[in-house]
Amino acid sequence: MIEDLLEDIAQKNGIRQVNTYLKVATGTGAILLCLLSTSYIAPLFIAALLTFAILFLARVGAKTYAGLFIHPVWFALVNVAGIVLVYGGSTPFWSWDPFPWFSLSVTRESINQGFFVFSRIVGGMSAVCFIALTTPMTDLFIVMRRCRVPDVVVDLAMIIYRTIFILMNQVIQIYQAQVMRLGYSSWRESVHSFASLCGAAFIASWESGEDLIRAMEARCYDGKFALLGENRPVEKMPCLAVGIFLVLSTAVVIVSGNITII
Amino acid sequence: MSSIILEARDVRYRYPRGMEAICGISFHIRKKEKIALVGPNGAGKSTLLKMFNGMIRPDSGLMLFADQPLGYDTISLRMLRKRVGFVLQNPDRQIIAPTVYQDVAFGPTNLGYSETEVKEAVTTALRHVGLEGFERRPPHQLSGGEKKRVAIAGVLAMDPDVLVLDEPTSGLDPSGSEDIMELLDELNHEGKTIIISTHNVELAYPWADRAMLMLEGKILEEDIPEVAFGNPEYVRRAHLSLPTLLELYRELQKRGFHLEGKKPHTVLDMMQCIETIFENTLGHIQPGMITVCNVDQDNRECLSGWLSRRQGISVGAMGTRAKQHAEISQIRLDFTYGVIDKCILKALLGEDTLIMTTESMVQRVNQRVDAYCRESGIRITVNQLISAPESANEENGSLK
Repeated sequence: MIEDLLEDIAQKNGIRQVNTYLKVATGTGAILLCLLSTSYIAPLFIAALLTFAILFLARVGAKTYAGLFIHPVWFALVNVAGIVLVYGGSTPFWSWDPFPWFSLSVTRESINQGFFVFSRIVGGMSAVCFIALTTPMTDLFIVMRRCRVPDVVVDLAMIIYRTIFILMNQVIQIYQAQVMRLGYSSWRESVHSFASLCGAAFIASWESGEDLIRAMEARCYDGKFALLGENRPVEKMPCLAVGIFLVLSTAVVIVSGNITII
Repeated sequence: MSSIILEARDVRYRYPRGMEAICGISFHIRKKEKIALVGPNGAGKSTLLKMFNGMIRPDSGLMLFADQPLGYDTISLRMLRKRVGFVLQNPDRQIIAPTVYQDVAFGPTNLGYSETEVKEAVTTALRHVGLEGFERRPPHQLSGGEKKRVAIAGVLAMDPDVLVLDEPTSGLDPSGSEDIMELLDELNHEGKTIIISTHNVELAYPWADRAMLMLEGKILEEDIPEVAFGNPEYVRRAHLSLPTLLELYRELQKRGFHLEGKKPHTVLDMMQCIETIFENTLGHIQPGMITVCNVDQDNRECLSGWLSRRQGISVGAMGTRAKQHAEISQIRLDFTYGVIDKCILKALLGEDTLIMTTESMVQRVNQRVDAYCRESGIRITVNQLISAPESANEENGSLK
C-alpha cells in the first residue's frame, strides 16, 4: 500500500502548489551534487536541508518519513559493511587473524570510502523522497513530456498509473475474500491461495485492458492524450529558496573538497 | 413532439457462441426525449445501448441515427460517437487518464480541438457536473458519485446530442442517485436526448418520458411510465416491482376511491389524490384470510389440492427455498418481495391469499399480521396449511 500512501501524501503536501519544475530541479540538482561531491560532508548537508524541507515545508509526518527511510538505510548499512571489509588500503586501522590462512582488516581508506558511500546514499535518498513526497506522479508526467520523453512512453506511463490503482483495489478485494475464508491459514493453503490470487488478478487486468480499449474507442481515440500543462507560476520566494539551496550546496561541495572522516 | 433521432428496425444480435441477446427489436426515440430501458439482468439492455453508438453491430436489422443508417467504417463511427455519448456502468472502466482534467479532455483532444477549445470544453463540462476545482485530482481518490460525474463530464465535453447511460445510479447511495437523475434532467432541459438503462423502477418512474420494459432480448412494453409500469403482469414478468406510488394509487382505486386526473408521478401528486379522497368515506369490507404454507413440511399434494379448489387466489413466497418449492410445484407466484404486507393489503380488500414460506418464517407472518391488527383495529385471520387430512387443513387460527 506504500504507493497509494506516497501518492496520497504527495497530493496533500504543504508545497503541492509550488511550481513543479522548481521541485524537480531541487531534487535532481541535489542528486547531481551528491554524485559530484568528493566528500561525505556535502551529501549529509543536502540530506539535512531536504529533510528539513520535507518535514517542515511539505509537512510530511516524521513517522512516515522515517518509515520510508529506514529500509534503504538498512540496505545501505549492509553494503557499506561489505565495502569497509573488502575495500583495500595502505594504513590498517584494525585487523583480526582468527586463522593463519584467514584475516580480516579494516583500513582508514576503507572506512572513509564506506562512510562516503553511505552519506551519498542518504543524500540521494532524501532527494528522491523530496520529489516523491512533494510532487504527485500526475505533475511529473507534465515534466516528462516537456523533457521530450517520447509520447508513447508518457502515454503508457499515464495509463499504467491509472490502471495500477484499479488493479491494486481488485487484488486487495480478492485477498480479503480469501483471508475471510481462511485462505492463508496454513502454508499449503497460502501457496494455493496466492496462486489463485495471481490468476484472478491476471484475468481481471486482461478484462480491464479490453474495457480500456473499448472506452477509448467510444470516445473517438485517435492517438492523442491530453495533458494539463503547468500553470502554477514560478513565485519569487520558492524560486529564491531553491536558488539559495543549490548555490549553498554547490559551495559546500567545493569547500569540503576531499575531507574525510578519519 | 420533435423529430426522430434514433431508430431501430427489427435489430437482432447474437453473441459469439452465445444465445441471442437481442431478438428483433424495433422502436424510435425522438429528440429531447428521456427514455428508460428497464428490465432484469440479462434482458439485453446493455447490448442494446451499445448499438446506439456503434460499439455493437447488429447481425440483422437496421439502426438509424437522424434518419441515416449507421455506417460502421472508422470515419462514420467517429462522427456517430461524437454525437452519441456513452457512459459505461463502471466509471473505473471509463476513466482512462490519471487526472480528472486529462480524462475529460480525452474526447475533445482526439476530436482535434485546439488547446483553448479543449480547455473551454473541459471547464464547461466540469461546471455542468459540479466538479470545478477537481482538475488535478487523480480519479482513484474520488468517491463513487464523483467518479460517475467525471465519466459523464468526459462524454459531455464532446457535446453529444444523445447521452446513453448504462445503469447511471448503480453503486451510488440514494442521494447520489437522486443527484445524477437531477443532472440528467438538467441536461435534458438543455436539449439533449437521454437514454438510460436501470433496474431502479422508483427512479425511472418519475423521471422518464417513456419507459421500455425489456425481457429476454425483446421489448415487453413501451409507453409512458404510468402505462409501462402500470401493468402488474408485465412488471412481474420483467422481474421488477411496481413503483410505490403507482402501487398505492392502484390500491386506493381497488378500494373504490374515485381518483381523477393522471396517475401520480411524485409524492406531491399522491398527496393531491389523497386529499381529494378524504372528502369521501371508507366502505366496510369483511377482511380476507391469509393462509401460511410451511414448505419444510411434506405437504406438496395437499397444497396443490388446496390451490386447485381456490382458483385465482394470490400466492406469495418468502425466502429462496419457498420460491424453489413454488417453481418445482409449478405454482405461479404473485408476490416475491414485501409478501406479508401485500397479503395484508389483499386481505383488506376482502381477498384470500397464500404465503409459502419456511418453518422459521411462519412465526414472522403471525407477528407481522398481529402487529398490523393491533395498530389498525382490523381483524385478519392467519391460518396454517397442514398436511393432515383435508378436513383439518385449517388449524392454528391465530388472530385478533
